[in-house]
Amino acid sequence: MVEPWQLYVAAASAAIIIGIYGVASKRNMLKTIIGIEIITSSIGLNFLALGSRGEIADPLAQSMVVVSMAIGACVAAVALSIMINVFRHYGSLDLRKLRRLRW
Amino acid sequence: MEIPLLVQPLVILFSTAVLTPLIDIVGKQAKAEKIRDIFAIAGFLAAFYSLMNLYWAISSTGPQTYILGTFGVPAGGVQLTADLLSVYMALIFCGIGLLVAIYSVRYMEVDSGLDKYYALLLTLVAGMIGVAFSGDFFNLYVFWEIMCISSYTLVSFRKYRWEPVEAGFKYLVMSTVGSLLALYAISLLYGFTGTVNLKQLSTMVSSGQISASPLSLYFTIGMIITGFGVTASMVPLHTWLPDAHPAAPSSISAMLSGVVIKTGVYAICRSLFTIFSPASFDYGTVLMIFGILTMTVANLMALMQRDIKRLLAYSSIVNIGYILTGVGIGAYALSHYSSSPKLATPIAIFALMGAMFHILNHAIGKGLLFLCSGCFVHEAKTRDIPELEGIGRKMTWTGTSLSIGLLALAGVPPLSGFWSKLFIILAGFSLPEDSFMKSISILVVFNSIFAASYYLWLMQRIMLKEPKPKIAGAVEAPASMLLPIVILAALTVAIGIWPGGIISLAESAGRALLGG
Repeated sequence: MVEPWQLYVAAASAAIIIGIYGVASKRNMLKTIIGIEIITSSIGLNFLALGSRGEIADPLAQSMVVVSMAIGACVAAVALSIMINVFRHYGSLDLRKLRRLRW
Repeated sequence: MEIPLLVQPLVILFSTAVLTPLIDIVGKQAKAEKIRDIFAIAGFLAAFYSLMNLYWAISSTGPQTYILGTFGVPAGGVQLTADLLSVYMALIFCGIGLLVAIYSVRYMEVDSGLDKYYALLLTLVAGMIGVAFSGDFFNLYVFWEIMCISSYTLVSFRKYRWEPVEAGFKYLVMSTVGSLLALYAISLLYGFTGTVNLKQLSTMVSSGQISASPLSLYFTIGMIITGFGVTASMVPLHTWLPDAHPAAPSSISAMLSGVVIKTGVYAICRSLFTIFSPASFDYGTVLMIFGILTMTVANLMALMQRDIKRLLAYSSIVNIGYILTGVGIGAYALSHYSSSPKLATPIAIFALMGAMFHILNHAIGKGLLFLCSGCFVHEAKTRDIPELEGIGRKMTWTGTSLSIGLLALAGVPPLSGFWSKLFIILAGFSLPEDSFMKSISILVVFNSIFAASYYLWLMQRIMLKEPKPKIAGAVEAPASMLLPIVILAALTVAIGIWPGGIISLAESAGRALLGG
C-alpha cells in the first residue's frame, strides 16, 4: 500500500532531477536561476512530506522549510542582481557568451 | 543580561556588520571615512578576544552547549555547540578575517561601497564561525548560506568589470546546487530519524534503531560529500574556484582560499564523523581517492598557469587534496581495522591531527601568498607572471614574505608546512602491511615534490630575475598592508620552529572530531 507521503517524496526527487537538468542544460541565465528555485522548492516538499507521516505534522520540518524558502529568496536576489550586471556587460543573457574565463 | 560566552563572537560580529553602514554615514558627515574601517577591525578584535576566552573556558571545563530554541523532545531544537575542534576552526577563521580587514584599509581604498564590503566581510566570518559552532543541521545550513551569500557578493564586488561578474555567477550556480544537495541529504536524514540534531542523529544511527537500509545511508553520505565538497572544491567539483578566487579582490581571495574552502572540509568531517561512525561506514576510501585525484589534477593544471592568482588558486585545490587525504586515512584506518581499535585509534588521531594542522598551515600560508600577490597587483596593475618578473627585488618585504610562504607550502623544513605534510605522510606509512594506504602515501609524496617544483619556479621568477622596465616604478606597499603580511610570515616561521603547542592543539581538535 502506497502512503500519500511516499508519493510526495517520489515527486520531490523527480523535481530535484528536473531542476538539476535545468541548471545543467539551459543556456539562458534566467532559466538556470529558475532551475535552482525548482530544486529549493522540491527539497522543501521533501521535508514537508517526511514531516507529515505521524498523527500531527512536525513543526521542525515546517520551520526548516520556511527558513530554507527565505534563504532561497536571498540566493535568488543575489543571482538576479549578478544577472543584471552580466546583461550590462554583454548585452545578453546567453551563458555561451560567458566563456571568456579559461579552464 | 549577560550574553553566554558561546554566543558572544556571533553577536559581536553580526552587530558590527549591521552597525558598519550606519557608522559610515556618520563618518562621511564628519569627514572621517576611515572610522568605518577602524570600527570593523575593532569588531574583529573583540570577536577574537571573546573566542580566546571561549577557548580557555572549553579547554578547562569541556564542550559548551547553548540552546537557542526548542521544538520539544524528539526534534532537539536549535542548538549551538562548541568543542575544541569548533573553537580551533573559529580562531583560524576570525584571525585571518582580522588580518584581512587590516589589509583592506589601504588595499580597498580606491573602491566605493566600502561600508557594504566590511559588512559582508563581517557576516562572512560570522557565518563561518556559526558553521563551526553548529550543533544541529538546522543552523548549520542557515549559517552555511549566510557564509555562501556573503562570499558570492564579495567575489562579484567589483561589478564594473566583466571578470568578477562572470566568475561570481559561475560560483553562485555551482555552490548553490551543492548546498541544496547537502540540504537534500539533511532532509533524508530527517526522514530516517525525525531529528536534525547531530548528537541525536549519531546515537540513532549507531544504535541501528532507524528504518534505513545501508544503501540509503551510503546515498546520504554521498550527497553530503558532494554537497559540501563543492565549497571544499574537490575535483571534479572544483571548476568554480580557479575563476572565482582570482576575480575577487586579493583580500577576499585570501579569505576564500585561506578559510572558506576549509569550512567545506569542516562540514564534511563534522557531519560524517559525528553521525556515521567510521568503524561501521567505509567512507575513508572515497575521501582518500578523491583527495589524491584532487591534488593530482590541480597540480597538473597549476603548471599551465601564467596568472599568479590562478596559480595560487590551483595550489589551494592541491592543499585541499592533502587535507582530504589526511582525513580519509584516519577514517580508513578506523573502518578497516575496527577489530583492533588499539591499533587503529592512534593512527586515526595522528592522521586527523596532520589534517587539522594542515588546515591551519594552509590558512596562514595561502592567506600570506594572496595578500602578497595583492600587493604586487596593487603596484604593478597586472597578474601576469612574466610581467611581474623581478618585482620581489623592488618590494623587498613583500617579496621575502612571499618566498617564505612559498617555501612553507612547498614543505621545506623548518617552515610550518613541512610538519603537517610529514604527519599526513607518516600516518599513511604507519601500517606497512596495508599496501593501499602505503600507495596512497607514496602518491602524496610524489605530489608534494611536484608541487614544490612550481612553487620554486614562481619564487625564482618573482625574486631572482631582473625587473622589467614596466614595473621599474614599483615601490614597497604601505605599512598597514605590510603589517598583516609580516605577521603571517612570522607565524609561518614560528610555527615551523616551535610546532609543539600547535600540534597539541591540533591533536585535541582531532580527538574532539572522534568524539572525546
